[in-house]
Amino acid sequence: MWYGVYVLVLVVFGIAVHAASDRVAYTWRWDRIPQYIVNNDGTEMRAPYDGFVAVAPDKKSLTLKELRGSRHDTITGFDVLLVGDGDLVFQNDALARKSGLVAGPLTLGLWMTLKLSAVALVFSMLLGLVAGLGRIARNPAVYGLATTYVELIRGTPLLVQIFIFYFFVGTVLKLSAFTAGAAALAVFTGAYVAEIIRAGIESIPRGQMEAARSLGMSVPQAMRHVVLPQAFKKTLPPLAGQFINLIKDSSLVSVMALTDLTKAGREVVASTFSPFEVWFTVALMYLVLTGTLSLFVRRLEKRLAHD
Amino acid sequence: MTESAAEVLIEVRDVGKVFANGVVGLKQVSMTVRRGEVVCIIGPSGSGKSTLLRTLNALETITSGEIQVLGQSVHGGKANLNRLRTHVGMVFQSFNLFPHKTALENLMLAPRVVGKVATSELRERCQALLAKVGLADKADAHPAQLSGGQQQRVAIARALAMQPDIMLFDEPTSALDPEKVNEVLDVMKVLAREGMTMCVVTHEMGFARAVADRVVFMEAGEIVYEDRPEPFFEAPRSERLKAFLGQVLK
Repeated sequence: MWYGVYVLVLVVFGIAVHAASDRVAYTWRWDRIPQYIVNNDGTEMRAPYDGFVAVAPDKKSLTLKELRGSRHDTITGFDVLLVGDGDLVFQNDALARKSGLVAGPLTLGLWMTLKLSAVALVFSMLLGLVAGLGRIARNPAVYGLATTYVELIRGTPLLVQIFIFYFFVGTVLKLSAFTAGAAALAVFTGAYVAEIIRAGIESIPRGQMEAARSLGMSVPQAMRHVVLPQAFKKTLPPLAGQFINLIKDSSLVSVMALTDLTKAGREVVASTFSPFEVWFTVALMYLVLTGTLSLFVRRLEKRLAHD
Repeated sequence: MTESAAEVLIEVRDVGKVFANGVVGLKQVSMTVRRGEVVCIIGPSGSGKSTLLRTLNALETITSGEIQVLGQSVHGGKANLNRLRTHVGMVFQSFNLFPHKTALENLMLAPRVVGKVATSELRERCQALLAKVGLADKADAHPAQLSGGQQQRVAIARALAMQPDIMLFDEPTSALDPEKVNEVLDVMKVLAREGMTMCVVTHEMGFARAVADRVVFMEAGEIVYEDRPEPFFEAPRSERLKAFLGQVLK
C-alpha cells in the first residue's frame, strides 16, 4: 500500500518534470548523449614534432622525419591515414586514426573525479586522524595547532580554499593542477574527519583507556588496539557521509584546469546545446559514485557489527 | 603466616589528594601491604577507598606523600609506569572488558602488545586462565554475550594474564546482580588461597571477614581504623566503625 504511494509520488514528480520542460518548449535529444560517454571515434595519432611524412608503399606504416633535427619515428597499426606522402606536418597534427571504442569526455571526467576523490579520501583520513588525536592531546602546542587547523578550514569556503591552493600554494610549490586540487580537497575534508574522529574517541568510555593502561599498555598502544578500533566502528556512518560530501565537493575543482566530471559536463553542454540531458546524466554519474560508496560502507558496517 | 617476615610490596606514606575542583580525596593516608596479604578496604561511598586504590597504580595522581610499589616510587616521576603496571593487575567495578574482542583475545591482547611472551605459549596460558575462572567454554564469546558475573571473571583472568605480583580490586561485585556475586567472590577466594597479594575495595563484609588478613575502614578520606578481621567485626574499638557496621550489617 505505502509502496504504491511511493511509486505514485515518483510518477507524479516525473510527469511534472516533463510538463515543466514542455512549457519552456524544450526538445529532448537524449540521442546526443551516449557519444559523450563512449564513442567509436577512435584515437588519433599525433606528430610528436615538426617534420616530413614518408608513407610506405603498402600504406600500412609511415615514417616521420624531423624538420630541424635527426629524430625519426615509424608509426604503424592505424586504420585511417590522414596525411599524404611528402606532407609537411607540425607538432600535434593528426597523422592517422585508429578506430575502436573509446571513452567519451564524460567518462574521462568521471574517471578524473574518481581519482581525485580517492586520493583526497586517503590523505584526508590520515590528516583527520592526526588532527583528531591532536584535538584531544594535552600538549597545548599540539592541541592549539590541531584546533587552529580545524577552525581555519571549517570557517572558510571550500571554493576560496581551492583558489588559494591553485593560485598561491600551487604556484609557490609548483604543484600540478591535480596535486593542488587533491590537496585542497584532502585538507578541507581532513578538518571534518578530525572532528568526527575526536567525537568518536570521546564517545568511548574512559574505563577502556584505564583498563588498557592498567595492563601496562602505553597511551599509543591503548589507542591503537583498544580505543581506535571501537571509535572507528562508531564513526563509520558519519565518515561515510563526509566522504560522500568529498565526492560531491570535488565538483568545485572544475574551476581549475582540471577536467573532472562537472567540467566535462560544461564542455559537453557547450558543444551539444542540450543542458538538461547533460546535467541529468552528470547527476546520475555522481549518484553511481556516491551510491557505490554508500553500499560499500553499509557492507563494512554489517561485517563489523558481528564482532 | 608470620606477617612481619614477608617483604613489603605496597607502602603508602602520608598520602594526601585534593581534586582539581578543590574536593579533598585523601588525608594523610598510610598503609602497608606485604607479599601474600589480602587487605580489604571498606567504608561509606565517597570515603576515598577507590581513590586510594587507584593511586596505587597511578590511575590517579596524589598531591602529597609517597607511594612505593614493588620498591619503586609510583608518583616520583621517575618510575616506568607502564612497566610497573604490568606487575599490578586491576579489576574494575564496571569490568571494562574490550567489547570488540572475544574473551580469549581480551586476555591475550596486553601480553601480546606489551610484548612479555611468545604468542604460542600465550594462547595456552590464557586458555588455562579462562578454565581457572570457570569459563573455558566462553573463549570465543564477545563480552556482550556474557553475563555480568562472567564478564567480571574474564576481567580477573585478563589481569592475571600479565602474571602480576599484586591484584587490585575496585568494588568488583558492586555492579553485579545479587545471585552473580558469589561466582566472582569464589574466584577471588581461590586467588587469595594461592597466596596472591590483594587489595580489595568492597562492600562484601562476609568476604572481608572470611578472606582478609586485615580490614581497613576509611571515612572522609582518612583511614579511621585497621585490624585483623575477627576483632574488626567482633569488637571494633571505634564508634564510627561501629555505627557503619551497624548500618551495613543490619
